[in-house]
Amino acid sequence: MSALRGEARVALAICRKDALAELRGRHATVSTLFFAAVVLLLFGFALGPDSARLAAAAPGLLWLAVVFAGILAMGRLHLLETDDGALEQLALYPVARRAIYAGKALAGFVAMLLLALLVLGAVGVLFAVDVASAWAPLLATTVLGALGVAAVGTFYAGVTVRLRAREVMLPLLMLPVLAPLLLGAVKATSVALAGDPFGELGAWLQLMLAFDVVMTVAGAATYGFLLED
Amino acid sequence: MSDVGFVIAAYSVVLGGLALYTLTLWRRLRAVGRDDEGT
Amino acid sequence: MKTRILGIVALAAVALATYVALAVVPADLNQGDAQRIMYPHVASAWLAYLSFGVTALAGIGWLWRRDLRFDSVAVAGAEIGVIFTAFAIWGGMMWGRPIWGVYWQWEDPRLTTTALLLALYVGYLLLRRLTDDPDRRATRAAIVGIVAAVDIPIVHFSVEWWRGLHQTATIASPDRVLNPAAPMVFVGTLLGMVAALTLAWAYLMIRRYQLAEAELGREERARIERLVSSRPITTSGEVAR
Repeated sequence: MSALRGEARVALAICRKDALAELRGRHATVSTLFFAAVVLLLFGFALGPDSARLAAAAPGLLWLAVVFAGILAMGRLHLLETDDGALEQLALYPVARRAIYAGKALAGFVAMLLLALLVLGAVGVLFAVDVASAWAPLLATTVLGALGVAAVGTFYAGVTVRLRAREVMLPLLMLPVLAPLLLGAVKATSVALAGDPFGELGAWLQLMLAFDVVMTVAGAATYGFLLED
Repeated sequence: MSDVGFVIAAYSVVLGGLALYTLTLWRRLRAVGRDDEGT
Repeated sequence: MKTRILGIVALAAVALATYVALAVVPADLNQGDAQRIMYPHVASAWLAYLSFGVTALAGIGWLWRRDLRFDSVAVAGAEIGVIFTAFAIWGGMMWGRPIWGVYWQWEDPRLTTTALLLALYVGYLLLRRLTDDPDRRATRAAIVGIVAAVDIPIVHFSVEWWRGLHQTATIASPDRVLNPAAPMVFVGTLLGMVAALTLAWAYLMIRRYQLAEAELGREERARIERLVSSRPITTSGEVAR
């Protein structure tokens, strides 16, 4: 049992290190948020000006913006490691690989949750959607969505961080894998906003949860092999 | 295009594709073999 | 030699299966001639899934045993899998246009899952190209292949749920050729096509594996060449002129 607690402590330490590094270089966080905002604006231009159409599309646009900005955010969190061979140093510690993964994924989750909540608010304003009315299911959806993107993003960012074409490989690898999460998140969001007339919300949240669990386990199990390079 | 056209399109791409891939495999195998003789 | 025999048998089998599918078996009462597309379409889809399963298992084999032959199997599975996936999608579209009236249907879980399958494994192949060191390439590919394989059932399930909210006419469904109530001649033709294409698949897998092994050998020799031909270092530590 104490071995697990040791791992948890390591994970938290890594999470704190990543979070502190991000907070200090705050410009990157701000740029990611602004990127999401710009994406939403462009959606408005592309699909507008009919507000009914935009409101109907809002759940999809919300999660697309979160995913696109999330790719940038997750990529950044791993870039920290390349700058002075930090990843190699991390790999030298006699620590369970999955603790390293967990720590980075946790930091990613916090970043994604913050991002998603802010984008949710922005979508409410820009596309005239009443997010406050369904705040509880929307919060649940956001948490599960953020978890999924963080789990998948941490894994693929680790895979691509030292590749030549990483800027295009990260989205290329992440996006197909995220498809079911995206599907579930958008359905859950739109169903929640409509007041869940047919009681489907639970099913979609379960799908997202299943995705999160599977991807976290798969990521944690395989991430370690990356560090053996 | 009548139904038959779609059937032909489907089969010709699948069978033609298989043939093409087989040919490229043969060519690539020959190329690696040739390199051996060169050294 | 044995492989060549396999290739010839496969060729004959595919020719026979095609002939039966096009000229012998009757057209479907509801779907007409377009239903004939289902034979290679379903067979291709099955072989695509088989290939990617092989890739995932071979990836695990590499991570476990560190034998590069596993990686050669993996790349063979991925490349051939991508090809059969493309065939499956093409077949689905060629069937869809006459039957549904459109080339694409988002509610068909097999079509959308297969499209995603294509995206996942094209990404896998592109990733492989970006790493030169064979061991590192094998490791990266293995873990990406495993995660991709794990994603597939989730994708399929999610799209089925997505569709579950709408009704789709069963007559216009690609499942009909697999429907147990279908006449034996349809099922028999399908099984024949699956068997024939599987023989072709096996032949291609063997050849692609051999190619991968040969290319590994060439890479290794090139690496040694470079090492051997580089300037020797003199006792004083300087590079000799």
